[in-house]
Amino acid sequence: MPISGIVVTCGTGDADAVASRIGTMDGIEVQGVVPGDRIVAVIESDSVDGEVALFSRLHEVDGVQTVRLAYHNFEDME
Amino acid sequence: MGLSRRDFLKASAAAAAFAAAGAAVLKPGNADAADDKGIKWGKAPCRFCGTGCGVLVGVKNGRIVATKGDPAAPVNKGLNCIKGYFLSKVLYGKDRLTKPLIRKGDKMVEASWDEAMGLIASKFKEAIDKHGPDSVAMYGSGQWTVFEGYAASKLFKGGIGTNNIEVNARLCMASAVTGFMTTFASDEPMGCYDDLDLGDTFFLWGANMAECHPVLFSRMIDNRLKNPNVRIIDFATRHTRTSQMADRYVKFNPQTDLALLNAIAYVIIRDRLYDEAFIKEHVVFKKGKENIGYGLEDKFKFADEPKLITFDEYTNFLKPYTPEYVEKLSGVPAQTIVEMAHLYADRKRKVNSLWTMGFNQHSRGTWVNNLVYNVHLLTGKICRPGENPLSLTGQPSACGTTREVGTFTHRLPADMVVMNPEHRAKAEKIWGIPAGKIPAKPTYNATEMFRALDRGDIKVVWVQVTNPFQSLPNLNRYRTGARKGDGRFVIVSDIYPTRSTELADVILPSASWVEKEGVFGNAERRTHQWFKQVDPPGEAKNDLWQIMELARRLGHGNLFPYKYPEKEIWEEYRKFGDGQGKDLAPYEAYAKTRGLRWPVVNGKETLWRYVEGHDPYVKQGEGIKFYKNKPDHFKAVVWARPFEPAAEVPDKQYPFWLCTGRVLEHWHTGTMTGRVPELKRAYSSAVCEMHPDDAKRLGIKNLQKVRISSRRGTIVLPVDLNGRGKAEKGNIFVAFFDEGKLINELCIDAYCPISGEPDFKKCAVRIEKA
Repeated sequence: MPISGIVVTCGTGDADAVASRIGTMDGIEVQGVVPGDRIVAVIESDSVDGEVALFSRLHEVDGVQTVRLAYHNFEDME
Repeated sequence: MGLSRRDFLKASAAAAAFAAAGAAVLKPGNADAADDKGIKWGKAPCRFCGTGCGVLVGVKNGRIVATKGDPAAPVNKGLNCIKGYFLSKVLYGKDRLTKPLIRKGDKMVEASWDEAMGLIASKFKEAIDKHGPDSVAMYGSGQWTVFEGYAASKLFKGGIGTNNIEVNARLCMASAVTGFMTTFASDEPMGCYDDLDLGDTFFLWGANMAECHPVLFSRMIDNRLKNPNVRIIDFATRHTRTSQMADRYVKFNPQTDLALLNAIAYVIIRDRLYDEAFIKEHVVFKKGKENIGYGLEDKFKFADEPKLITFDEYTNFLKPYTPEYVEKLSGVPAQTIVEMAHLYADRKRKVNSLWTMGFNQHSRGTWVNNLVYNVHLLTGKICRPGENPLSLTGQPSACGTTREVGTFTHRLPADMVVMNPEHRAKAEKIWGIPAGKIPAKPTYNATEMFRALDRGDIKVVWVQVTNPFQSLPNLNRYRTGARKGDGRFVIVSDIYPTRSTELADVILPSASWVEKEGVFGNAERRTHQWFKQVDPPGEAKNDLWQIMELARRLGHGNLFPYKYPEKEIWEEYRKFGDGQGKDLAPYEAYAKTRGLRWPVVNGKETLWRYVEGHDPYVKQGEGIKFYKNKPDHFKAVVWARPFEPAAEVPDKQYPFWLCTGRVLEHWHTGTMTGRVPELKRAYSSAVCEMHPDDAKRLGIKNLQKVRISSRRGTIVLPVDLNGRGKAEKGNIFVAFFDEGKLINELCIDAYCPISGEPDFKKCAVRIEKA
C-alpha cells in the first residue's frame, strides 16, 4: 500500500477551510497547517493510480493553489 | 504491510512534507521517524522533464522503494510534482526488456549480446562498404545522458565519418536553439529559475506550465501568494489548468502569435515605450528572407540571407501590425493588445516571458522565438535578475546532452558547427583523430533522416531512448519506410516494448536512470550528476556501453580508451567549452553538489549570463555584453519577421485545427508511464478535446466516438467536452501518449525551414460521428 506525504498551498487565509475540505476525502489525512498557508497531508491508497487520482483531485478543491509531493514510499509494490 | 510499519511510514511521509514546507514536525515524538535506517538514499535529478528537480532515491535490498523531493536541491527544495509518483514504477513494469532480441521472420528471438552486437556491427560494415558512411545513422534523445550523447557523436562524426546523428530534440527544442543562435549567437537562456521568484510579471505563451512544468509554475504561484502585485498572463490557443490559475487568459487563433508579438512591438514603438539607450547600446536590426516554405518536400533546403536594417526600417516593417489588423487575424481585441504591450513595457514591472512547444513546434518556430526576444530587447527588459525571457525545455537533458554536446547533424560541442573548419579542427584535436575526418556538410535533420530511411538512402538506423515510430509527424510514411526491407536495418535500444521496438530488426535492453551513472542538464543551464544506485534487470546494459561496444567492433575502439568512461568522457568533453562561455566544472564538483549552472569559472556558477557582476566573461564597466556575437559587435539582434500562415489551415473539407501535446499523467509517448497498469487506468486512453458548441453543431454528445481525419491519416476517439483542458471553437486537442491511438499519423510533417522542427500544433482535420 503506497504512502505519500504532500504539501498543499492555499490562497491567502484559506488554509484552515481548505484543510477541512481535504480532511473529508477518503485516503487523505491532514497532518497540520503550517505558516505560509500550507497544509501537510498524507495520502494512502491501494495503488499508485489511486494516489495519482487523489493528488489530481486535490487541484479541483476550492482554495487549492498547488499540490506537491514530498515523499513516496512504495516498498510493498510488486 | 504491518500496522506499525505503515504508521512508521506515514510518520516519515509527514515529516518529509513538514520539512519541505519549512516547518518543524508538529508531533516531535515522530521526528525520528523521518530517518528510516533500512533505506539508503542517493541523489539524482528527476527522470522526467527539463525542470530538473532534485530527487532522493531510496534503495533497499537492491530495489528502489521510496523517493522524496531533495531538500538540498535549489530547483525544487524538497518538493516534486505529480510526475514524482511515476518514478516509483518507471523501472519495474512487468514487460521490462531484459535480453537482446533479433528478428527472425515474424518473431523476435532472444539472443546473446555477442550475437546481437555482432549482427549490428556486420550490418553497419556492410552498409558503409556498399553505400558509404552516410548510409548509417543514429537517432538519440534529450533523455540521453551527456556521456551517451557525447560517445554517439564521437563515434559517428569522428569514427565512422558521418554527420548522420540526430535526436528527438529536433522535434522539441530546435526552434528555441535557432532562436537563440540568430538573436544572441549563443544557445540557452541568459536567466535562470531565480527569475520566477524575483519577477512580478509573467507572460506565458502557448505553454501549459501548470501541467507540463508544475514545479516551476508552483514557484510563480508561491511568488504571487507573497506578492499580490504579481501578474500571470496566459496567452494560449486552449484553456487549461494554467489558464484557470492565471490572472488573465488571452486566447488567440493558432499561428497568430507571430502577428501578436509584432503588434506588441508596434505599440511599444508607436507609444514610445522602448528603451532608446538600451537599443542604441545593445541592439542591431536585421531582416531575413520571407515566404520561406514549409519543408514538405524531401531534401528541402533553406538558407537565410540576413541583412542589416535601421530602426526606422524596422518601424516601417511593423506598420501593418496595428492592433486593429491583428485583432482580425488573432481574435485578440485591439484594446487587449495595447494593454499587453503597455504591461510588457511598464518600467515599474519586472517582466518575464516563458514558452515551450507552442512556440517551438511551429512552422515559423525560429521566427516566433526571435519575436519574443524582440519585445524584451526593445524595452531593455532582459539580462536583469527577475526580468528575462525564459525558453523552457521539455526533456531532462535536451539542453545538457543534445544542445550542449551537440548531437545534431550540423553540430559539435559548445555551440560549434561542422561547417566551420576551425571548429572541426578543434574537435579533431580533442578527439585525437586525423584532420579532415569530420565531414564538413550536415546531412539530414530528424524528419529528413526518416525520409531518407524511407527512400533507402539510409540503410541502417540505431534508435536509443526515444520512440520515433510513435512521435514523428505524418507517422504512416515513416512506419512503413522502416519495414521496406531492401537492406534497411533498424536497431532500437529501450527499456520497454514500444511502437518503435515493434518495427526493429534488433532490440537491445537498456539500463535506465539510476541503473547507470549519468549527467543531465536542465533548462536553467544546471548540470546535475548522479551515481548508479540499483542494477538494471536481466542482461540490460547502459547505452554508453552499447555505443562503445559497437565502436570496438567497427575498429574505432581507440576513440574510447577509458578506464572510468563517465568521468573521463566528462573531462574530455569539457575541454570544448573551456574559455568559451560554456565552461563546465570538474566531474567531482557535480558529484558533490545539486548541480551547477554554467559557465562555471573558478568553481563559481553563473546565474545571469551577459551581465556584469554575474557573468565572469563580462568585465567591470561593461554592463551588459552579448559577448558571443562578435560579428554584430557584441549586440543582440532584433529581427523583422512577418506573419506567415501555417503550412495547412482549416478549409471547407478539413474545417478544424488539430493541436497535439502532452497530458499531466503521461510522459510523452507513455513508454514509461504506460507500463504501469495503475497509471494507465488513471488516463487510460486518448480523447478528443472539443468545444461544446462545435459538438452540438455536429450532433455529438460527450464521450461519444468520433472519426477525426486529416489528409494523412484517420483515428477514432471519444470526445471529451468536460476535461481539464478545454478546446476553443474550431479547435481540437489530442494527446500523443496513447500507443493504441497514434494521433501523429494525422499530423503534418511541415517544419520550420531554419530549425527543421516540425509543427505538431497545427494541421487541418475534419470530424464526423464514428
